[in-house]
Amino acid sequence: MVERARRTVSAARELVRKHRPDYRLISYTAVLVVIGLIIIFAIGPQRANLLNETFGSSLGDSYFILRQTMSVLIAMGAFIAFAFFFKFDWILKHSGKILLAGFGASALLALFGNVFHVEAITQCALGACRWFVIPGIGTLQPSEFLKFGVLIFLAGFLAARMRSGEINSRDKTLIPVAAILAVCAFFIVILQKDLGTGVALIAIVASMMTVAGISPRIGAFAAAGLVVLGVVTIVIAPHRMERMMTFLSGDEAATAVDGGAYHITHAKIAIGSGGLFGLGIGNSVQAAGYLPEAINDSVFAILGETFGFLGLVFILGMFYLLLRRILKIMDHLPDERYKLLAAGVFGWIGSHVIINVAAMTGLMPLTGITLPLLSFGGTSMVFIAVILGLVFQASQYTAHRSDLKKGKKDEDSRSRRRVGRTRYAGRRSI
Amino acid sequence: MKLDLLKGSRSQFLVILLTGVMILIVVRLFWLQIVQHDHYTALANREQMKHLVIPANRGMIYALDGTTPAPLVMNQQVYTVFADPTVVTKHQEVEQVVREVAAGEMVDGDIQEMLQDTSTQYKVLARNVSLRQAELIREKKLSGVGFQQVSKRVYTEGQLASQTLGFVNNENKGQYGVEERLNDRLTGTDGVLKSVTDVANVPLSIGKNNIRQDPVDGESLVLTLDLNIQSKAEQVLAAGLERSGATDGSIMVMDPNTGQIKAMASLPTYKPEEFTKVQDAKQFVNRTVSEPYEPGSVLKTFTVATGIDMGVITPDATFYNTDSVRIEDRTIGNVVKGLTGNISMQTALNNSLNTGMVNIAQRLGNGEYITKGARDTMYEYFHNRFGLGELTGIQVTNEQRGTVISPDEAEGNAVRYSNMAFGQGLNVTMVQVCAGFSSIINGGTYHSPSVIAGTYEDGQIRKEDNATHRKGVISTEASQQTREMIYKARNGFTSDDKPGYYVGGKTGTAQTIENGQYVMNQTDGTYLGFGGTKSESKYVIMVQVSGKGMNLEGNRHAMPIFTDLSNWLLEYYQLQPGE
Repeated sequence: MVERARRTVSAARELVRKHRPDYRLISYTAVLVVIGLIIIFAIGPQRANLLNETFGSSLGDSYFILRQTMSVLIAMGAFIAFAFFFKFDWILKHSGKILLAGFGASALLALFGNVFHVEAITQCALGACRWFVIPGIGTLQPSEFLKFGVLIFLAGFLAARMRSGEINSRDKTLIPVAAILAVCAFFIVILQKDLGTGVALIAIVASMMTVAGISPRIGAFAAAGLVVLGVVTIVIAPHRMERMMTFLSGDEAATAVDGGAYHITHAKIAIGSGGLFGLGIGNSVQAAGYLPEAINDSVFAILGETFGFLGLVFILGMFYLLLRRILKIMDHLPDERYKLLAAGVFGWIGSHVIINVAAMTGLMPLTGITLPLLSFGGTSMVFIAVILGLVFQASQYTAHRSDLKKGKKDEDSRSRRRVGRTRYAGRRSI
Repeated sequence: MKLDLLKGSRSQFLVILLTGVMILIVVRLFWLQIVQHDHYTALANREQMKHLVIPANRGMIYALDGTTPAPLVMNQQVYTVFADPTVVTKHQEVEQVVREVAAGEMVDGDIQEMLQDTSTQYKVLARNVSLRQAELIREKKLSGVGFQQVSKRVYTEGQLASQTLGFVNNENKGQYGVEERLNDRLTGTDGVLKSVTDVANVPLSIGKNNIRQDPVDGESLVLTLDLNIQSKAEQVLAAGLERSGATDGSIMVMDPNTGQIKAMASLPTYKPEEFTKVQDAKQFVNRTVSEPYEPGSVLKTFTVATGIDMGVITPDATFYNTDSVRIEDRTIGNVVKGLTGNISMQTALNNSLNTGMVNIAQRLGNGEYITKGARDTMYEYFHNRFGLGELTGIQVTNEQRGTVISPDEAEGNAVRYSNMAFGQGLNVTMVQVCAGFSSIINGGTYHSPSVIAGTYEDGQIRKEDNATHRKGVISTEASQQTREMIYKARNGFTSDDKPGYYVGGKTGTAQTIENGQYVMNQTDGTYLGFGGTKSESKYVIMVQVSGKGMNLEGNRHAMPIFTDLSNWLLEYYQLQPGE
């Protein structure tokens, strides 16, 4: 099976020669990262001040912006590494191990956190252990790694099934995928109580399956099943039920002590008070302790307060363009594995953006999930950089639409065209 | 090899899904940010805009050290250490650190239990912690531990003049004394800061609608009390009580030429700093203004002054003494018996003969009866001119009026006025007596008593005088003659005064009234007198001692206290002795 996949690659390689990657991907990303740095620069001092007041720490005004800059630099390194040095072929070869490592890390976290309660290296809240603590460096979220493992593994696995036309096979495709998802759900949703990440994982798998060509009937069944499962998950967990009730009952009168209601109300106050143009950089008041998680999960609300409707539409526009671009690259990838990788990355980033923004605007119940590239925090930033790096790497192997349709064997200059318009072969291509 | 991969691609489906959700979100944002903008701005303001009070500093209170103001009550910035149990993580460490640094200031109770109580976000761990201590605790960077600055009254002289000062309670309100009476002036006006704040109510500099109104600090007051005299007065009073075994005593020193009070105190007293520990609220009371009583024979000086000023007696005028006199159905007797026959008014005063005083009252009438006219005259002098039974307006709280019954009332009959002639049948305060007595010996000018010399501004006293000054309450000659009679009355008793000075005084021993009945075997001792040179009296001192079930006498128990203080004052004022 793997042999066959490898042959496909070489076949595609023969057809599509490596060419200049897609730099627009970087432009959109860069704009978002810069906006993220600006907002963290603006509210960092308030955040530091607040932590100092509450916890008696002594963080400087520049603490958060320096940390975020560090994260961005590390993320840039990761992007470059995965764009140019770690070849996707090579990564795929080890995808099984990566997935196992993801499971392993999650199991270790559960062991140290939930079973032995080693507080020195795990960070738990209300019985949910989501982070490893690496003294002196920061925290690490194994679920991010697990998502990455699933993404890579399924890209190889589903590509092989595509090639063999067994994508709708119950035993060869559906059950293994469901099994992987079940194990992930056990770690992420049950042990770590992190429904947001669980949903993101499902979105990754769903968009890969969709692109892989799952039959609409099976897709509809799976969707229905997930809805039922989702309802059950919500009903059995009190904290989720509470959030659901908050969501359904509306929150206008939320002087409620309930944390979820308070959180959403304040997110909406931040966004709503921003108006058309926003209060301006450095004028966010909600970041001064009113809005929980202002710097990480709720950063979208602070962006709304600061930059207003126009700013948010611009930011969403950037995400939209970025996601469209990933889909466009995907469409032009002849190699199924690349194609599925791009699909998974689309699901990853898209689900994070939508789940986060929908929660902040009160369209969906609250789940703790970061806003890619904008939220404060290194783990999320680095993994987004890694997967974008891989898509960037893949964008060197796109083929022109006409080639894809015709499946021409002979090589001409058109095979060196990238996504979009025709270019002259000699110009700046490798 | 065919590459018809697009066949299975569902990217259009994903694009439509993505676009649809994005449009939904943008519509939602339009609703929140454009349509509902005012609503959310109002919500934000309601939560973020705070009216913060900038507390005004309470005015300080100074006393005089000679003529220089010396601070008696100051403010100190201290800190309240509190914990937010919902944030605290290291419970043991929090307690340990606070105990190490400020064990003495810690609140009572189980700290660990308090830290576990997550139903509140504010648990006080220690009060009145100094800045240094607060910093030591802050350095430990304990999560969930906070500090609150509060102003605390500090008393430089401990319990000195505590009843005159009063104290400031936990609601920052003055209680008793000057603190209560002049609370408004001392408090000042708090400033207001209307500002956007962070969640911990710390004002943020952002926002356009911030309004700041600076506080106006309270006035600093300078008392007329002289630190040295006050201190000495309390000392001699305490010593006198010890000698006599009396449980209660009051003392007042007044400048007869201005009405300014130089010292006033009652024992037992309290430390204002520890006002919460006082068991008996009586200790807070400034009895010299708040506790009217029958001063007894010391008021004979008032009767004599009235008689002389009305021209019905002279010091040498005589009357026929029979040791007792009958007024309607009552017989009034003397304590000192046997001085029968024709004796002078001076002798009557020297020996404190009640019959002599009744005789003066009779002379104010038709010579035989204390007529309505006599009573009107006595009321005019005692009440209207000398201010007995009337509020003096002294600037401490809870001044009592006392009772001097007017002859127009049924109670104001001849029997009562015969009693009033020797200081009974009326209720007056020491401050009233001192002020009236001052006018009798200072040439006839009544100065309403005062305890405030002025305000302290920029290192200087800005004097204020709200006192009333009534000249000619008695004639200068009458004053001079009465003063000499009082001088003689004292010097017939004692020769303990420093030679070369002019010190006069009168004893008083009065039965006490409890529940409207005179109590047997319980008397108050009072002494009222003046001192200085022959040409001018420099001070008036009044001393009163009492005790439950005790017979305390003016001459034996109150007078020595007067003498101690008087001799000290002569030296303190550095008066030149005459021959």
